Amino acid sequence: MRRQRASLRRPRKRRSRVLLGFLIAVGFVLSGVIGVVAYFMPAIVTAFEDTGHTIDRSLQTAQPSAGASASASAAARASAPPAVAPPGQPFTVLLLGSDNDAKFGGTVLTQSMILARVNPKTRQVVMESIPRDLWVPLSTGGSAKIDAAYLHGGASASVATVEEDFHIHIDHYAWIGLLGLVNLINQVGGIDVVATNPVMDDFYPKDLTGKDPYAYERVAVLPGPQHMNGMQALMYVRSRHGDLRSDFGRSQRQQQVLLALRAKAKLLGIADLPDIATAMANDFSTDMSISEIASLLPIASSVQLQNVQQVILASPYTSVLVVSNQDALQPNWNLILPLTHKFFPAV
Amino acid sequence: MKRALTVILLLALMAGFGLGVNRLIASRKHNIPTESSVFIPTVTRPKIVLPGTLYLAQNGDIYRLSDGFFTDLHLSTASGSWMQPAYVPKSQDIVAVLRAAEYSNLYLLNSQGSIIRRLSNNANVHLDTVYLNHWMFYPHMGADGNTLYFSYDQPKNSSTLAVDFSVWSGTLSAKLATAQLTNSNPFTGGDVDPTPMASGTIIYSKYAIGSGNAYSQVALQGKPLSRPIILTTPAQDCGQPAPSPDGTKVAMICIGGTGLQSTRLEVATLTAGKLGTPQTLVNNCLCSAPVWAPDGSGLVYYNTADATGHFELWWIKGAWSAAPSAPLQVTTNLDFDASSPPSWSPLSSVPVMAR
Repeated sequence: MRRQRASLRRPRKRRSRVLLGFLIAVGFVLSGVIGVVAYFMPAIVTAFEDTGHTIDRSLQTAQPSAGASASASAAARASAPPAVAPPGQPFTVLLLGSDNDAKFGGTVLTQSMILARVNPKTRQVVMESIPRDLWVPLSTGGSAKIDAAYLHGGASASVATVEEDFHIHIDHYAWIGLLGLVNLINQVGGIDVVATNPVMDDFYPKDLTGKDPYAYERVAVLPGPQHMNGMQALMYVRSRHGDLRSDFGRSQRQQQVLLALRAKAKLLGIADLPDIATAMANDFSTDMSISEIASLLPIASSVQLQNVQQVILASPYTSVLVVSNQDALQPNWNLILPLTHKFFPAV
Repeated sequence: MKRALTVILLLALMAGFGLGVNRLIASRKHNIPTESSVFIPTVTRPKIVLPGTLYLAQNGDIYRLSDGFFTDLHLSTASGSWMQPAYVPKSQDIVAVLRAAEYSNLYLLNSQGSIIRRLSNNANVHLDTVYLNHWMFYPHMGADGNTLYFSYDQPKNSSTLAVDFSVWSGTLSAKLATAQLTNSNPFTGGDVDPTPMASGTIIYSKYAIGSGNAYSQVALQGKPLSRPIILTTPAQDCGQPAPSPDGTKVAMICIGGTGLQSTRLEVATLTAGKLGTPQTLVNNCLCSAPVWAPDGSGLVYYNTADATGHFELWWIKGAWSAAPSAPLQVTTNLDFDASSPPSWSPLSSVPVMAR
């Protein structure tokens, strides 16, 4: 009888040992997961708050776009490519940069707009700067400088406006504010830039460091190769008063800083994302997911400088225009569209 | 009791495991030094010993490299960053730039870093007229040890936004900015890097803007404000000229076409106001600020050592010989100010003076 009870207890004991072992294993796995989650928490928070935003394509108007008739636009839209290019295929990103300091009080324009076409297979990149003063029909209605699209409808309106006016498809956007750029550059240890010329400005906005966002400060970036921290790089890309080319000069410098950041991307991996996410928190947004951003790092790092093409829409692509008492730029669509469609497929 | 201890031990092990996983991922970080931690050791022994004395700038301070050792001049950075040292011939002194937020001044210092006197006064006391401040950069002494050449953002008209450097000269013994030597192209940044040559002419970088691009050309200026002789083409985009001690060769930095993000170190002969075909010593680099050895046996320049940046000092022996040596990295773990050209005095050692 006692032997029978013992033989009944043995499998139960074995079962409970197996269960205990399983629970211990689950406990270790859970603690490991907690360790991973704790590490990536800043990136996870950023992923929820700043990434994965959707582009509201309903902002695309039915009105005729800059260089096409309404029927042509509608036909083009009907045969439009999928919203996002499949992985591994060439894709187009609209990079947006804003002066979002205190003096704008929430009414933010996009001082910098760069279209980038990335071919992951050939590792080729084309960057086309869109002048912020370009006078265009906005997707939200009416005509204005293209930098106002963001003011009227955020990134979706900027994407829709560029898509309609340039007759291209944009897969993704990424927006960054002033402090986001400064913190990103500082987080990667600064950047090395070959300053094109002495960049001099006696009326540079002192809106990030002082108490008065309307105050000015002096800038003198000396020419040639040099290391820049985030604030110095911001001065380099933002200054325009002392440059004969005004916005076109700083567009070129903005592309340069992107290339310098690309050089630093070589040193980054997935484990660096939390620090970068912390640095850019609240000053960055994109429709890309965090995994899509992570998958771009190896592409960015493997792109060779000779495979990067830079396009600036200076004269004769644009000409000076005064409209409603403000200086603007008149686009010459007959030249801009063929040039743009050499690099960005027409839709 | 035993069971409770086992549970506590297991929980501790699990917590340790979680922490271990966390730290394991953290160890996979690439540990790029963040901007606040990039300034690293300053006093080191370089890999090779160079003749004479080199003055260099790093992190707002000036260092003397002599007999294979760096000496920190320990200049006070309370009111700005020290940069662009220039040795004064026939003396132990140097001239250097103290750069504040809105202006920069030139100072005369002794070899130990004590300020002898301030040479300029470019600060404007009225806070609401910030544009009345001035910049002075790139000091270079003439062979007489008294004439000083530099870039100065004058003349400046407050009714326009143009702020451009021109080359000016003055003397240490009298007033500093007495003669404007060059007329710069407006809204380009202007004329920088002036170096006097034995012939009395000044060689410098002249900036211009054409076809939507900013570029630099190496130029010679004879008489003040006369038309300069341009030595290089816009397409070459060359600047930072460094004449050899005998004036027959010029080292320069030219910008490559690759996204404006790489440079070339080139050397060319200079005969009768014309440059010969340049010879590229280093291609596809972030080379800057070449300076010839006082005996002309080679030249030093700055370049980054790896992808993390950090400008180090490099040396090429026989830079104009038929077979120049491969570039040798002179320093490691430093981070020189690449916009501050080194200044190379022929004096091999500097007597220690009481500060």
